[in-house]
Amino acid sequence: MLFNSLTFVVFFGLVLALHNAPLDWKTKKTNLLIASYLFYAAWNPPFVVLLWLSTVLDWNIAKRLFSEQRLSRRRMLLAVSVAVNLGLLGYFKYGEFLMENFVALLSLAGVAYQAPEWNIILPVGISFYTFQTMAYSLDVYLKRAEPADSFLDFALFVTFFPQLVAGPIVRPTHLLPQFAVPRKATGRQLAWGLGLIVLGLFQKIVVADGLLSPVADAAFNSDKLLNPLDAWLGTLAFSGQIFSDFAGYSTTAIGVALTLGFGLPDNFRYPYASIGFSDFWRRWHISLSSWLRDYLYIPLGGNRKNEFRTYANLMTTMLLGGLWHGASWTFVVWGGLHGLFLAAERWLVGRFGKLGIWSRWPARIFLALLTYALVNITWVFFRAQDFATAWRMITSMLSFPSDGEKVLTSIYVLETVLTIGAMLVVHWRMRNRDLHQVVAATPAWLVGALLGIMMTLILITQGGSDAFIYFQF
Amino acid sequence: MRSSTSSSNASEFDRPLPGRPMGASWLVAVLVCVLMIGAWEMYWRGQGATPAYRNSEGLWAIQRRRIDAGDGHRQVLTGSSRTLFNLNLDTWEKVSGERPIQLALEGTSPLGVLESLAEDPHFTGQALVGVAPGLFYSGFEYRKKALTQFDKESWSQWLGQQISMRIEPFFAFYEPDFALFTVLERQPLPDREGVQNELDVRKLSNTISVDRNTQMWSRVETDPAYADIAQRTWADGFKPIEERDAEWIEKSLETRKTQIDRAVAAVETLRARGVEVIFVQHPVEGHYAVAEPMYHPRDKTWDVLIERSGAIGLHWQDHPEMQGYRLPEWSHMSASEAQRYTETLLRLIEQERARNKEQE
Repeated sequence: MLFNSLTFVVFFGLVLALHNAPLDWKTKKTNLLIASYLFYAAWNPPFVVLLWLSTVLDWNIAKRLFSEQRLSRRRMLLAVSVAVNLGLLGYFKYGEFLMENFVALLSLAGVAYQAPEWNIILPVGISFYTFQTMAYSLDVYLKRAEPADSFLDFALFVTFFPQLVAGPIVRPTHLLPQFAVPRKATGRQLAWGLGLIVLGLFQKIVVADGLLSPVADAAFNSDKLLNPLDAWLGTLAFSGQIFSDFAGYSTTAIGVALTLGFGLPDNFRYPYASIGFSDFWRRWHISLSSWLRDYLYIPLGGNRKNEFRTYANLMTTMLLGGLWHGASWTFVVWGGLHGLFLAAERWLVGRFGKLGIWSRWPARIFLALLTYALVNITWVFFRAQDFATAWRMITSMLSFPSDGEKVLTSIYVLETVLTIGAMLVVHWRMRNRDLHQVVAATPAWLVGALLGIMMTLILITQGGSDAFIYFQF
Repeated sequence: MRSSTSSSNASEFDRPLPGRPMGASWLVAVLVCVLMIGAWEMYWRGQGATPAYRNSEGLWAIQRRRIDAGDGHRQVLTGSSRTLFNLNLDTWEKVSGERPIQLALEGTSPLGVLESLAEDPHFTGQALVGVAPGLFYSGFEYRKKALTQFDKESWSQWLGQQISMRIEPFFAFYEPDFALFTVLERQPLPDREGVQNELDVRKLSNTISVDRNTQMWSRVETDPAYADIAQRTWADGFKPIEERDAEWIEKSLETRKTQIDRAVAAVETLRARGVEVIFVQHPVEGHYAVAEPMYHPRDKTWDVLIERSGAIGLHWQDHPEMQGYRLPEWSHMSASEAQRYTETLLRLIEQERARNKEQE
């Protein structure tokens, strides 16, 4: 079920009413669990079985991991959890990709092999809930957390509908304790949660789908070299689209959870005001980057080994992070580029980071713009459907072809310049602030007027119920 | 140190809130939203729009499902926008005593629908298939998603459609053509040098009942400037066939043959089940009267289709009764003309049936 659908409005209204009805806490949690399964089943009911499988498996394995003292047995139990979770992910998400590469390798070796047609549908949000349940088993194995006391709480942790299909990826130690005690939103939480829902839907429906998506599509769907302005504006539009789409989902998810009385962590902190790539990853998809840090980068050794291992761990983490997003080499290149930029930054900071010039504002603005430009280069590989498109876009952006085709109409140029300009100003001004503090310092009538305008724009944009981009990951 | 997953101190996870209540802000927000939506609605009503049903994929899927839910014996109308606009369901019901199921989709070849009906054993009625040559023989399917939605509609899509249908009859602005960014894209900004701005089809019709009874929007009839935009849209980018290269022509001839083959195969399947199929080519004027014979000459298209399929065929050029209707933008009939045309067409169909019986 999509947040940006009429069905969700009714569904959410019913869930909210039931959650505020005079029922006991266990019944309310059961209601939330059933609602979450319904929410997921809206796409493809049989895939709910995958959620049940993950739930039952990790519940039992974590219990045994906790009581088991023998290291070999503990390792084996963890391996079963990881193998089943990643096995399901691999089969549904990477099966076709692996088969294609296998066929290509055989072809290189001179063996002509016709692979059977791969007709497996990707379960929505499988990468998100797989990482969330794996974190539970891993935390118990690493003795960072104890297993949950209640199966109902754990099932709800795996399935909690606001963040089930596109995050934020929540840690068991963050969400399970909230299910242990009765929670209901206060009036102020409800009002703020609804405000966040309006903001999130505005980002998705108006900014991502209405303003920027058609521009990015026009540029990336062209099969010709583009005029540099069109190539850059198409890429900038995608950078705004992907942020507004994904941050819009996260903001809505946080708002929905808050109206029910639950707190979810931030997933974005104005990433286009980042100064450097390590700053970017502290602001972009925070729940994934911290997951990769805690369950991949640090277990690999992080920066505790020698210099070479540190760089290797960084690259491994980012390459796998790229692959997490999608079964395609373009995503691997996207992750690889981020790894390279992170490694380059680490090397440069080690040698020149202490120079006083970097604390002055012209240098900081220069670094922020450089970071943004490089992030945009990486987005080309993220958005392009294949390498031919990516190279065409990169060539158009960097070689300034004089005969490049113009594909963007006047209104598209205008929309992109104004939207991206406004987005950069907002990110820069909000770089070191929190939204709730800014809202508190703004006159109530102005906050109300802005909310009213956003609500109106959402309604008159009449979004076509386009799925969120990150659902496919 | 281990973190607990069952801590009783769950308030540590509460999100920070603005330091003051938001009641006043929400009051202003609702007021602003109501005023702005009211102004937007009044603007569109001032433009001649009236609340109507959205001609959505979900609405089409509801009609298509009727065939599998006990209405499979009925007359089905399929085709493109001409069949949608020109045939009035109320008139059809009044004249024939039975209300048909309207499955025509604008900008879309009807062959996908016809094949779907051929594969569906529940369909045992009659099929009227509108032939708009530019779509029928090219296989173009602007609204293909409707068939996909019928095949794979999820329960949340179904519910969304049901909710939407409760809202649609109250708001004129709730219509894809009046969506904010669709409107913005149509603003006459100066063209960017070297960028071809294609004219989009604008609102032409109103769907006035839940079973997709659709008629031309009155503004197309009454506002010559608006009708002129529609005419320019149809003629936009037109290229005489002499300017097409040989490769393009060869490909289009292949496509045409494929479409006729598909139609003949579907008719054979339907006829084997006792289903009557009638092809109808509705009248056109202006640009279409020039472009259609140029790209789809009758002797290579319509005549072949009717001869090979053995179906009843009603071509506007063969029947004076199908001529002389008012087509404000060359392709579709005004609402009042559609009623007259529907009566005429039903009479002609009966005549053709009688003639066929005599020949048997």
